[in-house]
Amino acid sequence: MRSLLSFFALVWAVAVSAISTTGDRLLVVLDDVADQSSYSKFLGDLTSLSPCPLSVLRYWPRRGFKLSFETPKSESLSLFHLGERAYDHVILFPSKSKGLGPNLTANLLLQFINANGNILLTLSSGSSTPSSIVSLLAELDIQLPADRTGLVVDHFNYDAASAADQHDVLLLPAPHSIRPDIKDFFGAGASSNEVLVFPRGVGATLGSGELLTPIVRAPRTAYSYNPKEQGEVVDDLFAAGEQLALAAAFQARNSARLALVGSAELLEDAWFDAEVKTTSGQAAKTFNREFAKRLSGWAFQEIGVLRVNWIEHHLNEVGASNESNPGIYRIKNDVTYTISLSEWSWSSWSTFKVPANDALQLEFSMLSPFHRLDLALDPSHSTAEAAAYTASFKLPDQHGIFNFKINYKRPFFTNVEEKNTVSVRHMAHDEWPRSYVISGAWPWITGIGATVAAWLAFCALWIYSAPIDQKKGAKKL
Amino acid sequence: MAPKNRNNRDVTPSAASTAQTSATSSGSAPQAAVSTSAKPAVNKSVSSSSSSKQDWNSVVVNLANSYRDSAPQRTKLIDAFMTFLVVAGALQFLYCVVAGNYPFNAFLSGFSATVGQFVLTASLRIQTTEANKSDFPSVSPERAFADFVFCSLVLHFFCVNFIN
Repeated sequence: MRSLLSFFALVWAVAVSAISTTGDRLLVVLDDVADQSSYSKFLGDLTSLSPCPLSVLRYWPRRGFKLSFETPKSESLSLFHLGERAYDHVILFPSKSKGLGPNLTANLLLQFINANGNILLTLSSGSSTPSSIVSLLAELDIQLPADRTGLVVDHFNYDAASAADQHDVLLLPAPHSIRPDIKDFFGAGASSNEVLVFPRGVGATLGSGELLTPIVRAPRTAYSYNPKEQGEVVDDLFAAGEQLALAAAFQARNSARLALVGSAELLEDAWFDAEVKTTSGQAAKTFNREFAKRLSGWAFQEIGVLRVNWIEHHLNEVGASNESNPGIYRIKNDVTYTISLSEWSWSSWSTFKVPANDALQLEFSMLSPFHRLDLALDPSHSTAEAAAYTASFKLPDQHGIFNFKINYKRPFFTNVEEKNTVSVRHMAHDEWPRSYVISGAWPWITGIGATVAAWLAFCALWIYSAPIDQKKGAKKL
Repeated sequence: MAPKNRNNRDVTPSAASTAQTSATSSGSAPQAAVSTSAKPAVNKSVSSSSSSKQDWNSVVVNLANSYRDSAPQRTKLIDAFMTFLVVAGALQFLYCVVAGNYPFNAFLSGFSATVGQFVLTASLRIQTTEANKSDFPSVSPERAFADFVFCSLVLHFFCVNFIN
């Protein structure tokens, strides 16, 4: 309990100083530090300390990351210092070199994720992907095109203004959630005339693991090929259609996040305010700035972070003690379980609302679950910052060591895995209902009564009929 | 320890011999019963079915008459009580079959109260019957009744406790 309190104190301290729930030290790795000027708006949004004056309509909360710029080959670059993370988050911009050097090996980047560090990884078709990035992604079951080079083109959804011939600047509708039960973090609120520009990017294919989720999929008419191969006809496609993920999310079991963007150019200033023209000739605004903000916000734990405030369970029986979180229950007790959850969105904790078509479930399990119940919102215990979810149920007719278990792992939300262990004892010998309470036992109670009464009558008659026998007995004696 | 065991061994043959004697002495009564019942069976093979029915009727009437006339009052009392116990037990068992055995402990105690009482009463009947006097030389009818009352009270105590 004390460790939990200190953890909340820590979270509070971090939340006051920075917008991210895990820290504000952000490392930006660029081939040439001078390149940062082309990403100035994106990086400026990350460091902005006041609402952005440019977009009055949209609320730009302060994000306040402390940026450090390094080149991959820099001697001073180190993700860890004395065994601890030196940075909380890393942005990797594409590099022209073949590898990223000894300080950014795939193994080190994986260790960084294992130490709860977050990574925003960008690719570009202009340069071949460094080998350490390829092996890092292979480790996460994300496949890149062969020869580390690929280009996604679409002959039906391209920007007619800038790529009328090459067709390699894709215009995509604002991303939407891939399943109805997943909260739409990235495309919510986008107007219909805004398009996401995906210029000269690399598409990846994702493995089937549950830790991977596509954020933006390529349109059905897009495909990826190797631009270095000369030839009129492309006969060696890497992938095509919706199997190409242009932006993808990986969330590890420890809730550390890696976001992959196929096109680093998407984040450049030039595309943030660019006017593009669809193939049908309509002018459209770009959604890139908002998308970049949301994607980096997700990757750096600014949205979709869940917190368990408290868990409480108690007996729900008339006349029973009202003790919270007792260590022991009896079989067939009525029990109420309540969990309070908050969701961090950009700058504050708010109530966590379970997405429509999804359910927060409680398991009451010993080895395997005996109950799996939907938790319902409990308004009486909810506040402006925390939503309480509750379920009442009868414990199973089985004694042993049980767990109240919440295992809520959903794409884009940090994992919630809570286990509260309780003992469930069997009935004490005096806790069974008396026979006279059970109407089915009345005939047998009557049977005993009749037997005893008849026995008493028999004894009385026996003694009453004694004299004759006694005379006989006396004679014989 | 060893001498005690030897004593036990010495005791057992004598106990077995008493059991044998009791078996032979009690065996005489069934033999008599067989000889009486053999008579109508022989008749049946010879005469028609109607006459055999009349014979059976007369046998039953004779049996009832002799029981009514010659059985002591206490034996009749015991028999009435045992009949009641059989009926009460059968009813409880029937209820269990028809309505289910929940709560099972109630059925067990109710049913076993009648069964146990029946056994105890049967023991009382055996020990107090004049004809068995020779088998229980040391047990007077008063002593038998006292044992019966004590054992019955223990039985009722157990049954009432067990039905909870």
